[in-house]
Amino acid sequence: MDQEDDRPPLLGSWPRLYAAVVIWLAVVMAGIALFSRWPF
Amino acid sequence: MATADWVVLGVYLVGIVAFGMWTGRGSRGMDEFFLAGRTMKWWAIGLSVMATQISAITFVGTTGQAYTDGMRFLVVYFGLPTAMVILCATLVPFFYRARVFTAYEYLEKRFDARTRSLTSLLFLFGRGLSVGVTLYAPSLVLGVILGWSENLTILVMGLSTIVYVVYGGNRSVIWTDVVQMALIWFGIFLCLGLALASLPEHVSVRDALAVAQTAGRLRVMDTSPSLQKPYTLWSGLIGGLFLALAYFGTDQSQVQRYLAGKSLTQSRLSLLFNAFVKVPMQFMILLTGALVFVFYHFHEPPLLWNAPALAELAQKAPPGELAVLRADFARAYEQRREAAERLALDRTQAEPYRAAQREVDAVRARVVALEERVSGRPYNDTNYIFPTYILSTLRGGLAGLVIAVIFAAAMSTLSGELNSLATATMVDFYKRYFRPVASDAEELLTSRALTAVWGGFAIVVALRARQLGSAIETVNRFGSYVYGPILGVFALAVLTRVRALPAFVGILCGEAVVAALAVSGIVHFLWFNVFGALSVVLCGLLIDRLIGSPPAVSPS
Repeated sequence: MDQEDDRPPLLGSWPRLYAAVVIWLAVVMAGIALFSRWPF
Repeated sequence: MATADWVVLGVYLVGIVAFGMWTGRGSRGMDEFFLAGRTMKWWAIGLSVMATQISAITFVGTTGQAYTDGMRFLVVYFGLPTAMVILCATLVPFFYRARVFTAYEYLEKRFDARTRSLTSLLFLFGRGLSVGVTLYAPSLVLGVILGWSENLTILVMGLSTIVYVVYGGNRSVIWTDVVQMALIWFGIFLCLGLALASLPEHVSVRDALAVAQTAGRLRVMDTSPSLQKPYTLWSGLIGGLFLALAYFGTDQSQVQRYLAGKSLTQSRLSLLFNAFVKVPMQFMILLTGALVFVFYHFHEPPLLWNAPALAELAQKAPPGELAVLRADFARAYEQRREAAERLALDRTQAEPYRAAQREVDAVRARVVALEERVSGRPYNDTNYIFPTYILSTLRGGLAGLVIAVIFAAAMSTLSGELNSLATATMVDFYKRYFRPVASDAEELLTSRALTAVWGGFAIVVALRARQLGSAIETVNRFGSYVYGPILGVFALAVLTRVRALPAFVGILCGEAVVAALAVSGIVHFLWFNVFGALSVVLCGLLIDRLIGSPPAVSPS
């Protein structure tokens, strides 16, 4: 494994990037739930 | 279609074949042909992964589904981001460091040749049978739109894809996928923008969304705990997670894309890119369908979306019966239009609107019943809604462009499938059992020949699909029967110290469980992946414990 593999280009470490994905999913799901119930 | 539309479609077809051949020039051996020399960047692989997943039917089918049933289908993608994280942390590093061509090759390193061959064979069956459907299903819709026969549509789409995949291999697949995905994105934005722009002046976007919401077309989250009900939040989060784990982690058509990464980082980033983008993108596609639904409140929709079927019905139906239905439909449509306009002005008018919508649904159900009685066949025209909308609203070559987007979606899936089927056949069987050592030139020639054979197979299956009738439905779902057990054996490989025999027997147990579930019909198919994978893991662990003796080599 080369040096490039040790670190992602964003957020400094893979676990942080993975956490960002999970948070993003939670935000998107909440946004979609809000959108579908929004009193248009 | 107008002349400008034909020109745009023609330019796309000629351009994509030429571009595919240009990018794939200079392949010298298997590493180059199957894995693009392992030189690709994350964004190209990420777009290719996305393009391979979006088929033509995903594009026209999901918009149609949002029109008829709302946006519940979106939950299928809720498990995907988490699956990408799990794969990046587990399987992807194993594959990458093992320097394999196929995912199944890794199973021989971890277990034995028998387990590798069985798993690869399951993939070849599942993906091999569905590759014909990949070609056949869009030909039904595109044939009607273009006025071509289904066979001509299949041949144009199939042969143009085969040419560049046979010539350029995975590099051509990835680069054409990048262009096709860019085109698909453009098509999504164009259609969404058009759906918003084509609302009547006195109906704002907020009003349109209120109409769609009142009709249940913005509904996404169904928290029902039922295992039989389709597209509940839980089947999406859990079933969708296992489906995505299996598809992106063990289906060679996807694994081969990210094995072409320049480094492990590039491969991981390509999947995480999908994790961030996929759900919002699918949301936009479904929202377009919901807005098309609103559009047809202010423009009278056809009685049936499949125009040739409607023309045939007009000839064969009892003379007075269709005329009565036409009149009833026009009246119901007019009442719904008025109800929608009242709802746009006053949100307390929801119930009268719902009653008008139910009336439209009831008249349409009578038309569908008449069509089924006259034709003697079940009738479903969900996939024709979006193409009909495009042809009736887009001008100046834009309709041709969106039809090219549907072609792009079909061809990007087909190219990835052909490339992966040829790789699994070549690496897991031909090279493994018949010709382990050969020159680069011979291996390249055989790889191209196998790609052409699979392409020919896909075309033959697609051309004969009409004769297969309802068997096509079974074939189409075959993938969901094999994904779970394949995922299970990879979980055993990476997460446990189980030995070869228990793993092999575990796959057979998993297939038996999935077959039992499919026959009994007690759960929705999204759950097959969950139960299939878990049964392989449990059987494998149990048998390993029963046969005793020291554990095998550590997975690392």
